[in-house]
Amino acid sequence: MVGIISYGFYVPKYRILIDNIANVWGKNPKDIKSSLMIEEKAVAGIDEDSLTMAYEAAAMALDDRIDKTKIGSIFFGSETPPYAVNPSSTILGEFLGVKKDYLAYDTQFACKAATGAIISTIGLVKSNMINYGLVCSADKSTGRPHDALEYTAGSGATAFLIGKSNVILEIIDQVSFSSDTPDFWRREGIRYPSHSGRFTGKPSYFYHVQNAAKNLLLKTKLKPENFAHAVFHMPNGKFPRAVATSLGFSQKQIEKSLVVGKLGNSYTSSALMGLVAVLEYAKPNDLIFFVSYGSGAGSDGFVFKVTKNLINHRQKFQSIINNKTQIDYPTYLKFMGII
Amino acid sequence: MISPVKIWRRQKKIKKVINKIGKITSWTIVYVPPSDFKKYAPYPVVLVELENNQKMMGQLVDYEKNELKVGQLVRTVLRKTQETAVEDVIAYGLKFKPINQIDSGRAH
Amino acid sequence: MSSIIGYYSTQFGELWKKSLFDLVKESVEGVLKENYIEMKQIDAIFFGNMLSGVLENNLHSSAKLSEIFHTNVSIFRVEAACASGGMAFHLAKQYLDAYSNKTVLVIGAEKMTDYSPEETTDALAAAASEEEQNAGLTFPGLYALMAQAYCERYHYTEEHLAHIAFKNHYHGSLNEKAHFKNKITIEQILKSAYVAHPLKVLDCSPISDGAAALLVTNDSKKTKHKVEILSSEVATDVISLKNRKDLLGLKSVRIATQKAYLQARIKPDQVDVAELHDCFTIAEILAMEDLGFWKKGSGGKMAKELVTMHGKSKKLVVNTSGGLKAAGHPVGATGVKQIGEIFLQLTNQASTRQVKSAEIGLTHNVGGSGGTAVITILRG
Repeated sequence: MVGIISYGFYVPKYRILIDNIANVWGKNPKDIKSSLMIEEKAVAGIDEDSLTMAYEAAAMALDDRIDKTKIGSIFFGSETPPYAVNPSSTILGEFLGVKKDYLAYDTQFACKAATGAIISTIGLVKSNMINYGLVCSADKSTGRPHDALEYTAGSGATAFLIGKSNVILEIIDQVSFSSDTPDFWRREGIRYPSHSGRFTGKPSYFYHVQNAAKNLLLKTKLKPENFAHAVFHMPNGKFPRAVATSLGFSQKQIEKSLVVGKLGNSYTSSALMGLVAVLEYAKPNDLIFFVSYGSGAGSDGFVFKVTKNLINHRQKFQSIINNKTQIDYPTYLKFMGII
Repeated sequence: MISPVKIWRRQKKIKKVINKIGKITSWTIVYVPPSDFKKYAPYPVVLVELENNQKMMGQLVDYEKNELKVGQLVRTVLRKTQETAVEDVIAYGLKFKPINQIDSGRAH
Repeated sequence: MSSIIGYYSTQFGELWKKSLFDLVKESVEGVLKENYIEMKQIDAIFFGNMLSGVLENNLHSSAKLSEIFHTNVSIFRVEAACASGGMAFHLAKQYLDAYSNKTVLVIGAEKMTDYSPEETTDALAAAASEEEQNAGLTFPGLYALMAQAYCERYHYTEEHLAHIAFKNHYHGSLNEKAHFKNKITIEQILKSAYVAHPLKVLDCSPISDGAAALLVTNDSKKTKHKVEILSSEVATDVISLKNRKDLLGLKSVRIATQKAYLQARIKPDQVDVAELHDCFTIAEILAMEDLGFWKKGSGGKMAKELVTMHGKSKKLVVNTSGGLKAAGHPVGATGVKQIGEIFLQLTNQASTRQVKSAEIGLTHNVGGSGGTAVITILRG
């Protein structure tokens, strides 16, 4: 049985209310909040970046029971890596105290950079090439000031350790669906990402998530009602709700995963954070349906099954993310390095 | 520019005390910073005694006003320390974050 | 027995027209001229300076001084952060203890205002440990940690600290060479902006230029002025504040002090006049306790009562020069200036700030946050 044996997450302490952003640009906060279905988003501090956040998440995952010498790979997925050229995966490995015989690389595929790496790790573990593989997602993202993305782009990190022993979340199966779709991108040396407006909806997010989902259901011969929980990538609060319905999942099934309303979209950590939120509640034998989305574009899908080992190894989530401090717009700009 | 070699050597020291718990023994708030720290000012700097009696000096982050006090429990966390030029190696180092009952960090 | 026979100080302040070596030249020419001595009678030179290497890429001072003064004698550059001047003097005394019939020059000089306050502050941080520098601590920060600990332990407030600055500015108003000759009020001090909590702008000594020179000799020839060096002692301590046993005083000062009193065969209550290293107000309070003048923990209270102020004091008067706070703190020059001020006091040349019948004087010069301490005891 291959699966997740340990996991961790990190959400920075700071939040900015959608109201505080909307008021600066003379927009009606009510309209923004109802169209995006988001209240506030998490903001990393001035001295944090994707690497420092990934470290926190990974340190949580690599607790005392984990034998670090068995880690054979570290993959770091981000859209906002600290370096354009220089692996953050090895900086992470160094600070985590992992010994040097491991495979490391950094990945980028917009918001699905890490979930793709999870699939690769599954392959390495299944084939017995490695014992444990660590995958981290981390982003300190922002949109261009005054752009729609400014309301949703947030900060966060997750870490998942994949292996064969004492699995807490079994990976039953996985799919991946890829295409060339220019919905959202960022050129080298350019600070803010660009997007193609409404094109990011049906032909992009929905097309890929729905196709990956359908393939996954076919492959596993399962139906939406078989699942206790479902997690979809959350670029805002509307899309995951809509795609769930279109696939035949109920709002109740996705309820626990919807972190976007309080945390915003932490890009590579968006869907994975939704999974972390679900794991706080999931029960042994629960099936969890998971589909990520990365612009450009593609989706990775997983069917997870909770084992009884989760009971003793689940992480507190809600109480931790409720420990927060509000900041204003100028402080937000300062933390994001915009001023 | 901070020497990349110095940053590399520093890493090894950081590894040893990362994610450890300690107590604040004295504190100040720096309002007039050295040039490498301009964008972070003002910031508190605390003297901390770790559980193993080792002493450390560093900035306090993510704190409420009432947590900047002698006796406050803190944890060492990885953060960016100095402002380096955009082309330079990033200087990561240790700062301190107050611990409260709902702390998410695991110390090893 | 070695003696000081001459002293000359330049103005301390923002001296735009003078370079480091202009100031050095001025102080040396001043002291030689006043005492009718020529450079060829000088057997060695001791030069205290901290920042010329860091700020101006200017080292190998021995060769520079050889060029300026047309001399080929031994010249020693001495650096011990803010105790560079005191150390230069200390080494001069060692030299005189080793060789007979010698006359030497001790020069302390610093040029700090050619650079922005940030650049200078950065340079000064070289006297702190690497960890302290990486934590973003400045010197005010280091002493602020001490002030915080002291005030918390003994229940004092910023107002207690302020009285030191008040007193030293009053003294500075009597010293024509002082950087700041304005008197300030307690209210002004308390209202000044924080530099590193709880220390405010007016708790901190300024950035200044200046140079001072002393003529020191063991030649028994008769001279116009002569002040005997009863003792000059040095002690060191860990550079890192975190490795000190407590922040309530400086171990290096206590060790050097004990040695100095022993060597000089005098007790604290015999000291009439003293120049203490008030780089920050808290430093003078800690010094008074470390030097045995005040009981441990009583410093805040004593400071508030202004017991060491000229005109008010019944015995010991401290920092008639204005201290570092008002006279200014051209780092390398300070230690030399302190000794020079005592020299003036003990030879009745201190004009309006003269302490009557001053017979025994003491100087306390500290490097960094207490890594080096130089204590000198003189008799007029």
